[in-house]
Amino acid sequence: MRRYLSVAVGPALFVVGAVVVALLPRFMGEFRLLEFTFVAIYVIALLGLNILTGYSGQISLGHGALVGVGAYVAALLSLGRPGLELYQLDPPSWIPLGDGMRPVFTIPIAALVTGVIGFLIGIPALRLGGVSLALATLALAVSFPILMKRFSEVTGGGGGLNLNLPETPFGWDISTRHWLYYEAWVTAGILFLAAWLLVRGRIGRAWRAIRDGEVAATSSGVNPALYKTFAFGVSSAYAGAAGALFAIETAYVNPDTFPVSLSILLLASAVIGGLGSLAGALFGALLFEFLPIYSQEPPIFSFHFAEQAPSVVFGVFLIVIMLLLPGGVAGLFRALAGAVRTGRFRRRSDTSELA
Amino acid sequence: MKRVLLVTLVLGAALTVALPGAFARTEATQATPGITSNTIKIGGTFPYSGPVSSYSPIPEGMKTYFRFINARKGPDGKRGIYGRKIDFKTYDDAYNPANTVQLTNKLVLEDKVFAVVGTLGTEDNLAIRPFLNQRKVPQVLVSTGASYWGTQYKQFPWTSGWQTDYIAEGRMYARWILANAARQKIAIFYQNDDYGKDYLNGIKQGLRSKTNLIVSELSYEVTDTSYASQIARQKATGADTWILVTTAGTPTVRALATAKRLGWKPDQIIINSVAATDGVMAAAVASVGQDFVNGAVSTGYLKNNTNPKYAKDPAIRSYRRIMSKYAPAGGVNIRNSFYYYGVAKAYDFVKLMYKAGKNPTRASLMAATAKMNWVNPYTLAGVKIKTSKTDRFPIDQGKIVRYNNGSWSEISALYKGR
Amino acid sequence: MAVPARLPRIDLSVGPVLRSLLLGVGFIVGAVAVLVLLGLVLTQTETAFSWSGYAQQIVSGLSQGAIFASLALALVLIYRTTDVLNFAQGEMATFTTFIAWSLMHHMSYWPAFALTLVIAFIGGAAIERIVIRPVEHRPEIVIVIVTIGLLIALNGLSGWIWNPEVKAFDSPFSNGTTEIAGVVISYQELGVLVVCLATVVLLWAFFRFTTLGLVMRAVANSQDASRLVGVRVGWMLALGWGLAAVLGAVAGMMAAPSQFLDPNLMLVILIYSFAAAVLGGIDSPIGAVAGGLILGVLINILGTYVDFIGGELRLPAALVVLLIVLLIRPQGLFGHKVVRRV
Repeated sequence: MRRYLSVAVGPALFVVGAVVVALLPRFMGEFRLLEFTFVAIYVIALLGLNILTGYSGQISLGHGALVGVGAYVAALLSLGRPGLELYQLDPPSWIPLGDGMRPVFTIPIAALVTGVIGFLIGIPALRLGGVSLALATLALAVSFPILMKRFSEVTGGGGGLNLNLPETPFGWDISTRHWLYYEAWVTAGILFLAAWLLVRGRIGRAWRAIRDGEVAATSSGVNPALYKTFAFGVSSAYAGAAGALFAIETAYVNPDTFPVSLSILLLASAVIGGLGSLAGALFGALLFEFLPIYSQEPPIFSFHFAEQAPSVVFGVFLIVIMLLLPGGVAGLFRALAGAVRTGRFRRRSDTSELA
Repeated sequence: MKRVLLVTLVLGAALTVALPGAFARTEATQATPGITSNTIKIGGTFPYSGPVSSYSPIPEGMKTYFRFINARKGPDGKRGIYGRKIDFKTYDDAYNPANTVQLTNKLVLEDKVFAVVGTLGTEDNLAIRPFLNQRKVPQVLVSTGASYWGTQYKQFPWTSGWQTDYIAEGRMYARWILANAARQKIAIFYQNDDYGKDYLNGIKQGLRSKTNLIVSELSYEVTDTSYASQIARQKATGADTWILVTTAGTPTVRALATAKRLGWKPDQIIINSVAATDGVMAAAVASVGQDFVNGAVSTGYLKNNTNPKYAKDPAIRSYRRIMSKYAPAGGVNIRNSFYYYGVAKAYDFVKLMYKAGKNPTRASLMAATAKMNWVNPYTLAGVKIKTSKTDRFPIDQGKIVRYNNGSWSEISALYKGR
Repeated sequence: MAVPARLPRIDLSVGPVLRSLLLGVGFIVGAVAVLVLLGLVLTQTETAFSWSGYAQQIVSGLSQGAIFASLALALVLIYRTTDVLNFAQGEMATFTTFIAWSLMHHMSYWPAFALTLVIAFIGGAAIERIVIRPVEHRPEIVIVIVTIGLLIALNGLSGWIWNPEVKAFDSPFSNGTTEIAGVVISYQELGVLVVCLATVVLLWAFFRFTTLGLVMRAVANSQDASRLVGVRVGWMLALGWGLAAVLGAVAGMMAAPSQFLDPNLMLVILIYSFAAAVLGGIDSPIGAVAGGLILGVLINILGTYVDFIGGELRLPAALVVLLIVLLIRPQGLFGHKVVRRV
């Protein structure tokens, strides 16, 4: 009976979560809905990062750039050549831009394009070890805004592109804000399930094997090259989908929107949420969305901090969380669940499995 | 295990405190959001952190002036504007337009501000412009010198600017150069983005047929650690007039220091007005010496608050009084012209609100922005704050000012940039 | 600190030293040859090419590169002794440079300089003990996030304590310039280059010829083995961080006169330095310097002579070149091949 329970916990939680997400809009004002829409977007991005860094063990400091790729693809496709003409932009004809498509269709295309780019990046990444890979992905994060500015004939340069303000498609009778919310969360739900299937299947096992010991994995018959590049591709596809939704929701893209700090903060959120656990993406996304906004206006304190105080507090917070919870929030829940399950609340002498 | 429990308790406590706030339902019952019988709630986003955080005194200057207005008795004997106190809510967007979008949504949807005032950054304002116009929320007195706000008012009637725009300023430099026939070889060193390119365009427009006077136009990136490469080339052209279109902060000082180090002292250095701040000039002096910097020229539409000539000027004295009485705790450096800029802008906002009437609405505020016609005491003599149905540049004038030993003095007549 | 008698005696024989020297000289000769060849190529392809202009680009590239190299040395030192990639290295350098700036208001340059180094040392060691020690044995990613947190906190703290307005910083070198064959070199740039080279020589000598250096190398090689031999590993790690913080402070004080001081002084430079360190081999101080100098020159040459790249794409282009080098030689130019034992 216990075994059935522990197997059922995961799917049950998912169903509960889905119900909560579906009902949440009833209890929220418009701005809160917007914030939770962004949470969904960051969940998707962090799922991708989790797959890359948490499951297959390849550090990436460039995830924000891939989100940016997805965003620009979505922006260009949804504006189409007619839209770009308003900016006096005339991209080369070999780029397959149509006449502007419904934003919702740009999501899978952005995911595909970004996924392919990520896969191609994954190939040379095989040769690069930990530190070099960190540098390579950091180089990506640094170069992305520069490239977007440089190729302004296509991207609109520094001034960026305003997408058309979102509207509910197909004439459905639902407010735009609600439509965006469900669009983001349904996508997040689908991608979450996909990630779950990947991770608990053969591919996920191969990733974990490679992460925990590449040589051992190879001698067990796992081809690291294939799985590692695949991880890059999948992770980038997720980033692309997140980016497309981001562009749709924000309705504006420009190089400054995807700075190096985005990549770094995504990584930090992924780690704090908990690597190696898909639920960690949810915690990380909540943190990523709410902490910067509410650290400027903490409901508890009311006296005036210096302008730089939120940065200092955030930095210290990162350090403290890593000291206390190296496994992230998800790791905390796992430890709690483990303690509940075994009925043990004493300090454990064995090292609990991390990430 | 104890540690895990402790952390869980802490997180749980934090959530219990934060969550109710997070889920508070906000009511939308007011006729005009942000206006009650005794408050006017406005908001804006500014780069308190990040690469351009040196602009952060601007909102603080605005807030200080609003505190003054809230405390003093106005022409009708009431404090504030017609008895309504101004509550200015500001957020830090770190100059990232995505943050600007979310935070502005928060201002409009959750904080329910009456208007978005003074938001800083061209791209940041571009990002929120469609949303604010769709919701018919005023986006006024934006802190950027792009020309969009003045040229695209038909498309975006709820958006309006304030300061002399960069293109107009560029034209002024061109006009002044042409009027001084002695120097005729121009080198322009500019930041490679829309801000720098706007100036470049303005200068070229102002030169009209004489753009051949420009012997070198080279740019730099914000990620460059050295400008020696570009400046060496500009020195080699033998230019005698050097126009710096750099941002306030390290780029300006670095450019000057590099020129000095390469042994180049152009006859006339022109520094764009955004960069010609007290702090930057002080750092420049400390690095390249007073002699190198004396004689540099810029434009201004505001009185220079560090010029001894204005020590007894009523506007400067009022600025000093207001700053010393109402400035944020911790003391401020009132020589920093960004505070002064904020105060000057806040003055115009107050004027606009008076024009919007005793029962202001968003529409009446925007109507007022098309009928501005007064003198702002913080601006140079002769500058008029003026808009009309077809002219949506509140300030489009300026004078050429020259730097000498710590302050800027006017050396030209009043130019009209547009 | 107990240094057990069983450690091998330091090898002072001439052979290896001579070999390193010859390698260094060979490298320099090779670099000069490459640059001359490149110049010859450019005379054909560039319309407005001048040798003195070319030399000027190289010289200013070297001086920029020296700044990258200085911070890269600190990065390498920490990585080599404690296996940690310290993302906060730049911010630690900036913070200590601000401290120096404040001190220079009360005392003259050299006393302030020396005092700053002391403060940096203590600060670096303290950070290691308080912040890094608890997470030392955690997965690498956790330590990375801790250093990122440190970066963010220090950046905010610098702005909070000293306000974000740009400040000028004194230089110990005179302000003048000298001109050789049409190429202008400032004493400041020359000074930074000399300090950088002197630092790497000192560092090399430290690791090679002193007992302390030897012990630190042992700790970097294997903490457990060192512990078994009686080395106080904890103190060695703190020492490593302290020394790296000192190097960072030097880098900051060398960079600040030309870069000017504000909280973001080292943000961009960190990226360059990181690239330089990896290019040179993340565990080789000489590699860090070589990497930095090469990167500086590369950026200038790419930016000036390749039209497509121009000023805008210098940084990405240089990074691409770097990554190509790393693909060919993943351990970097002077790094040691990582042998994976099964």
